[in-house]
Amino acid sequence: MTTPDDADQTAGDEHSPAMIRADLLAALALIILAVAMLYGSWTMDRLELRRIQPLTAPGLVPGLLSAALLVCGLILAIRSMRLPAPGGWTSLGAAITSGPARRVGVVLLLALTYTLGLVGLLPFWLATGLFVFAFILVFETWLAEPRRSLLQSAPWAIGIAVATAAIVTFVFERAFLVRLP
Amino acid sequence: MLDGLGLLLGGITHFLTPLSLFNIAWATLLGIVIGALPGLTATMGVALLVTLTYKMAPDQAILCLMCIYSGAIYGGSRTAILLAIPGTPASAATTLDGHPLALQGKAGLAMGLATTSSALGTIIGIIALALIAPLLAEAALKFGTYEFFWLALFGVVISGQLTAMDDPLKGYIAGILGLMVAMVGMETLHAHQRFTFGISALGGGVDLIPAMVGAFGLAEILGVMKRTVHARIVSSGDRVVPKFNEILKYWRTTLRSGIIGTFVGIVPGVGEDVGAWASYAAAKRSSKEANLFGKGSQEGLIAAETGNSAVVPGAMIPTLTLALPGSAAAAVLIAAMFIHGIRPGPLLMTESPEVLYQIVAVLLFSTLAILIFGLTLTKPLLTVLAVPRERLMAVVYVLCVVGSFAITQRMFDIYVMVFFGIAGFILREMKFPMAPLVLGIILGDLLDLNLRRGLMLTNGDPTPFFTRPISAVICLIIVFTILMSIPAVSKRVKAVLGRGKKEEIPKQA
Repeated sequence: MTTPDDADQTAGDEHSPAMIRADLLAALALIILAVAMLYGSWTMDRLELRRIQPLTAPGLVPGLLSAALLVCGLILAIRSMRLPAPGGWTSLGAAITSGPARRVGVVLLLALTYTLGLVGLLPFWLATGLFVFAFILVFETWLAEPRRSLLQSAPWAIGIAVATAAIVTFVFERAFLVRLP
Repeated sequence: MLDGLGLLLGGITHFLTPLSLFNIAWATLLGIVIGALPGLTATMGVALLVTLTYKMAPDQAILCLMCIYSGAIYGGSRTAILLAIPGTPASAATTLDGHPLALQGKAGLAMGLATTSSALGTIIGIIALALIAPLLAEAALKFGTYEFFWLALFGVVISGQLTAMDDPLKGYIAGILGLMVAMVGMETLHAHQRFTFGISALGGGVDLIPAMVGAFGLAEILGVMKRTVHARIVSSGDRVVPKFNEILKYWRTTLRSGIIGTFVGIVPGVGEDVGAWASYAAAKRSSKEANLFGKGSQEGLIAAETGNSAVVPGAMIPTLTLALPGSAAAAVLIAAMFIHGIRPGPLLMTESPEVLYQIVAVLLFSTLAILIFGLTLTKPLLTVLAVPRERLMAVVYVLCVVGSFAITQRMFDIYVMVFFGIAGFILREMKFPMAPLVLGIILGDLLDLNLRRGLMLTNGDPTPFFTRPISAVICLIIVFTILMSIPAVSKRVKAVLGRGKKEEIPKQA
C-alpha cells in the first residue's frame, strides 16, 4: 500500500511510462538470474554415486523455481514491451538522477562506509559515533529544506552520536555480553 | 473445551508476576512508539528486538515480542490521525478518515475511537485464536509430507496474489525470489551444499533475522530518507476517552471488521495492511453513510483500526499450528521461537499446549496495556511524533547493524543485512511486495524438503500429491488462484458470472 506522498515521488505509479520501462530492466535481470540458476541446478551434483532416487536430486526444486521465475520474467518483459510508454526512458532516467535518488545515494554511501569500511577498522564505538554524527550533519545542514546552520545542528549531532555510541556499546558488551565487531 | 479454559487460566496466571507485568508494560509502550514513528514498522521493531530479548527466558522473550507487535500495529494509528502519514503500512486506511476527523477538531475522539477499536479488534481475533487454533492443530496432525508441500506453495502464491492486488505477477516474482534465497546452503534431505560458491558462511543458508532487518530496516530507512516532505502535526484539545454509545453505535462494523481482520490474518503472509483495507472496503459497501467515508467517518476509522488489529491474533493461528507465518512480523516470530527452542507446528499442541494459551494471555494483557496507554498518554506520544527523522534514522541504522550481528556474531550477517536492504529497497520502489519474499525465505525449506521427501516415499511417483483429498483441494485452490490472476481468464470468468447475475435480476423483479 502506498502512502499519498509516496505515489508522486517514486519512479511512478503502476502503469506510468517510467515504471513500464523499469519493469523491462527488472525483467531482463530476472531472466538472467533464472537462466543462471537453471544452469546451476541442471549441472548440480545429482548424487548418483549415492544411488538416491533421481527425482530427489538437490537440483530439483531450484530448477523448478528458476523455470517459474523464467516464465514470470518473460511475461513481465513481454507485457512491458507491449504497453505504450511515451517518454518512459527519459522519465525513468530523470527519476534515477533526481533529488530523492541523490538522497538515497548519500544514505547508502554513509551506511556502506560505516558498515563495510569503518566497522572492523576502528573500535565499534568510534565508528558508530562518527557515522551518527556525519549522518545527522549531512541531512540537516546540506540535504535539508530548509537547511539548518552548522551551529544549530552540530551540538545535537555530537550529543546523539556520543549517546548512541555509549549506550549501544554499553548495553551490548556489558548487558548482553556480545563481542561487538 | 474445559481443558482449554483451564489452560487459558493457567496462561493468564502464569504472567501475573511483577516481572511479566513490567515486561508487558515497557514492551507495549515501546511497540506503540515504534508504530507511531513513521519509518519504523512492526516487522522492523520485532526483528530488531529479537536481539534484545535473546538472553531472556523463552516465555518472557515471546511475551515482549508479541507486545511489541500488537503495540506497533496500534501505534501507527496515532501518526495516521495527527500527521496523515501512516506510522506503519497497517494504518494507511486509518489516515483516510482519521486525519479528516482531526482537521475537524476531533483529533481526541479519533484517537480514542482508534484505541477502543484496536482493543475490540484484538479481542475478536483472540477469541478466534483460542477457538480455532486447537481445532486446526488437530486437523493438521493428519497432514503429511504431500499436504505440507502444497501448504507451503499455497502460502507463497496467496501472499503474492493478495499483497500485490493490482499486479499479482510482481507478487509471484517476489515469492519465487524468496524461495530461491531459501535454496542457498545445505539442503536437509541429502545434506548437499547448494549455491554456496565456496563461501563457508553460506553453508548454513541465509538467516532470516538479518535478511528481515535489511528488508524492513535498511530498506525502510532509504525509503524514508528519500522524501523531503515535512508533515504538520494537527493538535486539538478535545476529549480522548470516547463515550460508550460512540463505541457501540457501529457495533456491526466492529464485529464484521474483526472477523474480516482475523480471516485475513489466518491467510499466510497477508498482513495488517490488507486486513485494514479489506474491512474498510466492506464497511463502506454496507454503510448507510458511505458518502462520509474519506471525509471523517467514524465508522470508517473504526473499520480500519478494528481490521488491522484483529490480524495480529489471527496471524498467530497458522503461525502456531502450521508454522506458516500469517504475516511478515509473524515470520520473524517463528524465527525467534526457534531461537528460544519453541517449535511451532502441528505438534505444538501436543508437545507444549501451554504456549498457545500463553500467547492468548499475552495478547489479552497487551490489549489492556494499549487501552491504558492509548487513552492516557496523549501528550507524551505527541512529543514522540516531533522527533526529527534525520536524527532517528541514523540511530536506527546502528541498531540494524548491531541487531543483525549480535545473534550469531558474524560479520557475514551484516553483509546479508546490507544486501537485503539494498535489494529490498529497489524491489519496493518497483512495487514488488515484501511479504511474499519473506514468506518464501521461511517456507522454501518446507517446500523443498516435503516435495522431495514425498517423491522419495513413493519412489518417484507424484500421484499422491494430486490424489490425497486434502492435497487435491489445496492444489485446486492454487491453480484457481493463479488462473484468476491472469487478466484474460479472470475477465472471461467474471463475464460468465455477470451474465448469470443479469439473468437472475429479471426473475426477482
